[in-house]
Amino acid sequence: MEISNAKVSFLSEHDTYGTSENNDDDVCIDVSDVSVMFNMSINREDGIKEYFINMMKGKVAFKEFWALRNIDFKVKRGDSLALIGRNGSGKSTLLKTVAGIIKPTRGSVKVNGTIAPLIEMSGGFDRTLSARENIYLAGAMHGHTKKYMKQHFDEIIEFAELEKFVDVPVKNFSSGMVSRLGFAVATSVNADIIIADEVLAVGDAKFREKCEKRIAQMLSGGTTILFVSHSTSQVKKICRRAIWLEKGKIIGSGSSAEICDKYTESLKIAKKTEYRRKY
Amino acid sequence: MVGKKIDEFMNYVPFLKEVIKRDFKKKYYKSFLGVAWSMLSPLLLMVVMSIVFSTIFKRSIPYYPVYWFSGNLLFGFITQGSQNVMNSMMANASLIKKMKIPKYFFCISSLTQQFIMEMFSLITYFLIEIVFGVPFTFNVFLFFIPMIYAYVFTLGLGMFLCSYATFLRDLDYLYTIIRRLWLYATPIFYPIDIIPAQFRFLWELNPVYIYLSIFRDLTLNGVMPSERSFIIATLYSVITLILGIVAFKEKEDRFFLYL
Repeated sequence: MEISNAKVSFLSEHDTYGTSENNDDDVCIDVSDVSVMFNMSINREDGIKEYFINMMKGKVAFKEFWALRNIDFKVKRGDSLALIGRNGSGKSTLLKTVAGIIKPTRGSVKVNGTIAPLIEMSGGFDRTLSARENIYLAGAMHGHTKKYMKQHFDEIIEFAELEKFVDVPVKNFSSGMVSRLGFAVATSVNADIIIADEVLAVGDAKFREKCEKRIAQMLSGGTTILFVSHSTSQVKKICRRAIWLEKGKIIGSGSSAEICDKYTESLKIAKKTEYRRKY
Repeated sequence: MVGKKIDEFMNYVPFLKEVIKRDFKKKYYKSFLGVAWSMLSPLLLMVVMSIVFSTIFKRSIPYYPVYWFSGNLLFGFITQGSQNVMNSMMANASLIKKMKIPKYFFCISSLTQQFIMEMFSLITYFLIEIVFGVPFTFNVFLFFIPMIYAYVFTLGLGMFLCSYATFLRDLDYLYTIIRRLWLYATPIFYPIDIIPAQFRFLWELNPVYIYLSIFRDLTLNGVMPSERSFIIATLYSVITLILGIVAFKEKEDRFFLYL
């Protein structure tokens, strides 16, 4: 297994690392040397009493946990990058860092353009509000006026196939309906960058196809996509490039086909060794 | 730097509107009278308090129900508002964890929602002033000055509390008790005259008392408050807001770990 910890640059194929400075305008996500540390407090204090008790015992010590270490990559405008890796490898943390939800402990993230984060399918819906109200709320979160959202309202509802449920509270929706709405809203707010975490895992085959089509459309329209999925076939279909994360480090990067194959291979090997160990 | 902040703020104004609207809807979800409660409940409480206390304080307070109402209005806004701001991160955890929105917006939205409700109570307040025949002076039109002081002070206090309450949830319970103590330490249902003169300075340390006496002077007693009280009120508000912002700025990056 080849392990490359080097700095990775996702500029177009013929660009080599180092010449990237020349076309900085086109780089829309610039993650440089990002590390994220969480305090995994051994006992998480949620109360004064616990805090003081632990302080007395000298136990307010935190165990450091580095969710991401020295992550370094660039994404060019209109490119599509997938993050693959096993559970707990830091994919979602990386997405949240790029989205600006988590501030990196070290390093910096520079983003050129607006971001529509689709982190967990419900994408920040308020469950007591209806689909209609949630669409306006989500639009407002992206800085769009009500007028703008009104123009796109029908389009969103049509794409999500929720014509009959416009005024039903989201809490009464099925998980498929919520994710359809989430996808429809996030992809119609005209963001420069879409950040998608496991968004296509739900929904039936037909809807998934529709989503893939829309993503392809957006890519050709110049939208940049950062994509997380466990389905390597989907990654290959949607993304041009991929990064392979393990334990918070980049251990491989390149074209999505190549990286996905390596990743599936490693999973197979891991499975086999586990099997051998057991029997 | 400041220009950029203002741009960012303007960009999120539609969001602020939507969130305030949503909070209103949620607050009065399945309530028959809805917003009317913010006018009705202080009115009913006023009746209760007047029955209990008006005989005791009849001599020193001419319009007892109005006197009590004005105190309850301002005090209720400051304490309930600061408690709402304190809990605003927890209340909006699902959004904060998924979207990049400046976090102070949730402080502003929860306080503004409380402020709008106070405006409804204010209408009731002016109505009962008419009903009880409180003599009219043009000073009444300056009522917004103490309201602005109260808003700025409450935002600062709430943000300061929020910076710590997000990590220590006990503060919420503790604050409920402090609110009660604060209630008795503020002349809401009793006149300030019952406090011996040598202890009065202690009451001046209480910002709510300062705001309240300005508010009562303007709207009830029909006199112009002294310059000194305006200066003290401004100082209290500005200093609290600065403290709140500093504490909030320092802690906000770690909020998401505790939500």
